[in-house]
Amino acid sequence: MSGSNHKDHAALAAEFNKDEPRVDWHDETLWWVRQKRDKAAARVPEWELLRDTASRIKDNVLSNLSGYLRQFEEEATRNGITVHWAADANEHNEIVLSILSRHKIDKMVKSKSMLTEECHLNEFLHEKGIDVVDTDLGERVVQLAGEPPSHIVLPCIHLKKQEIGEIFHEHLGTPKGNADPQFLTHAARLHLREKFLTRRVALTGVNFAVAETGEFVVCTNEGNADMGAHLADVHIASMGIEKLIPQRRHLGVFLRLLTRSATGQPITTYSSHFRRPRQGQEMHIVLVDNGRSVHLGRKDFRNSLKCIRCAACFNTCPVYRRSGGHSYHTAVAGPIGSILSPNLDMKKYADLPFASTLCGSCSNVCPVKIDIHEQLYKWRQVIVQEGYAAAGKTAVMKTMNWVLSHPGVYHTAGKTGRWFMLNAPFTVKNGFNTWYRQRDMPTPPKQSFGDWYKKNKK
Amino acid sequence: MNESSNTATRNSRDKILNTVHGNQPAPRELPPLPEGTPVAPGDLAPTFITALEAIGATAYIVSGFDRIATMLHEQFPGARRIVTGCPQLNAFAEAAAAAKGLDPHLLENVELGILPAHFGVAENGACWITETQMVERALPFIAQRLVLVIPHSSIVPNMHAAYDRIAALEAEAPANTYGFSTFIAGPSKTADIEQSLVLGAHGPISLTVFLLDEGLSDAGFY
Repeated sequence: MSGSNHKDHAALAAEFNKDEPRVDWHDETLWWVRQKRDKAAARVPEWELLRDTASRIKDNVLSNLSGYLRQFEEEATRNGITVHWAADANEHNEIVLSILSRHKIDKMVKSKSMLTEECHLNEFLHEKGIDVVDTDLGERVVQLAGEPPSHIVLPCIHLKKQEIGEIFHEHLGTPKGNADPQFLTHAARLHLREKFLTRRVALTGVNFAVAETGEFVVCTNEGNADMGAHLADVHIASMGIEKLIPQRRHLGVFLRLLTRSATGQPITTYSSHFRRPRQGQEMHIVLVDNGRSVHLGRKDFRNSLKCIRCAACFNTCPVYRRSGGHSYHTAVAGPIGSILSPNLDMKKYADLPFASTLCGSCSNVCPVKIDIHEQLYKWRQVIVQEGYAAAGKTAVMKTMNWVLSHPGVYHTAGKTGRWFMLNAPFTVKNGFNTWYRQRDMPTPPKQSFGDWYKKNKK
Repeated sequence: MNESSNTATRNSRDKILNTVHGNQPAPRELPPLPEGTPVAPGDLAPTFITALEAIGATAYIVSGFDRIATMLHEQFPGARRIVTGCPQLNAFAEAAAAAKGLDPHLLENVELGILPAHFGVAENGACWITETQMVERALPFIAQRLVLVIPHSSIVPNMHAAYDRIAALEAEAPANTYGFSTFIAGPSKTADIEQSLVLGAHGPISLTVFLLDEGLSDAGFY
């Protein structure tokens, strides 16, 4: 535990790992998505140029974010959209509530928005008596199950179809035991159509917002953001301030990268461009900071604000695939979440930068070339220096440091270790050795390299 | 209505902008945009159609609206409510004029929507459709089945060319400056349940795209 009262990644991952067949299934499912990404990327000869261009556009965005925010506000306002600014999660939630209250509305539909997960909007509104229906199928499933999403693109990837069938049986009245995805999707279509037709407020996320034109783009496969927004009297779009891009033509670069990286599709079914409210409709944009402006000042970590939330780093990560999204105890899990979350709360998320093998696969697939694994490594150093590392880890590191800086001690320790592993293997092959839990211990050599070298030098 | 002048959000605005301004790094130039490798030399329609079929849609090259009407009669014989944004199909369906300005909720029982779109994108099968072509913003999403009609000659190779085309369309006619527009690539779909692909999530369960080539002879299509 990292000093706080929640279970850390290692403990939560250990729980997930109790069911080995499920871990294998989870691992294989996500690896399959990663392979689809590889095939889609390979079909675009200029893929690396696109990644490089996207990364450089985002460099420009971060270097002039205040200017682009002002420009976007001006253009969006001119387009008839009301622009709000929220310094933190609470202000965001209060703004949404104030819009609902002004219209005396206590029910709304919401399409996928990781920002509202980050702000815990649903819980906040629930306490105020507002009914929120998540309309993305995966998000509806986890909402009915009373869980947070475990993946930012595939929210219920941790659940098996039989479990989803059971959830639908309980909440939507589908026949018990029916776990056919086609059937369950159709049941959800009918259930949610009624919600779309009767809700007067729709909240959506934002994939990209264009400073030049004051428009924003929302990408979905299901069409749920559009069904909600076009049928509602009031459309609220919540976005993090880093979602801006300078010009509309830059969308060409990002839309080519986003879905190929996410699911291996060439583009989402719908890439909807909202520029002005429908006649008689109200449109609001809430620009949310919630730690982003501070993060921008951290030289080593600001690149993580380039993220376009494709989740390619989740799907490729050997730790994510085998520990599940919930083990990250944060809205955005996976490698990118592990470098974004410590910025929000270094103590609470001190464990996350250690939930990685530093293999670098995340950085290799990132469509905007964020140096994810390098940032994970740098966060570890910051966390240890700030005193947030787990006590056990710090003690081990100090001992190792002492051993490695004293050759005599190192020699003796090596010899002793080899003797025990050869003659008393139970002393290392037991539950107290955390390394041994998921691994076989190697057979130790009879002599050390140092001894061998002394003997064979001539 | 105007909450941006509200004091709390005004204070936050200035606070956010000041912090961002203080923390943003030294200016970085925008890079040149790639043009993209042309997906295939010459006629882009075959690449576009292959991309469409891969995402669960169907495409036909046709000679005119008469042919479209005949094919729609054959393919959607039972469709009770059909709404179209193509004036050439007014005899066949409820015209845009009748549906325009309606409460969008009243489109809930539309079984077939037939709409013109500006152009297609060869690399991904997407069609660009702007608000004025949609009858109502909700229609392309709420219709049970959707048909789009684009000029055969309109296909652009990739998304870079697509945004150049969008800018050119706006320069041509102010009516093309949209309040809302979208790329539609295939029927609505989801794979949220165990990664099993299901067509027809919340939007149309099928998409048919007609590529209109008025210079084409009907011979050979039936």
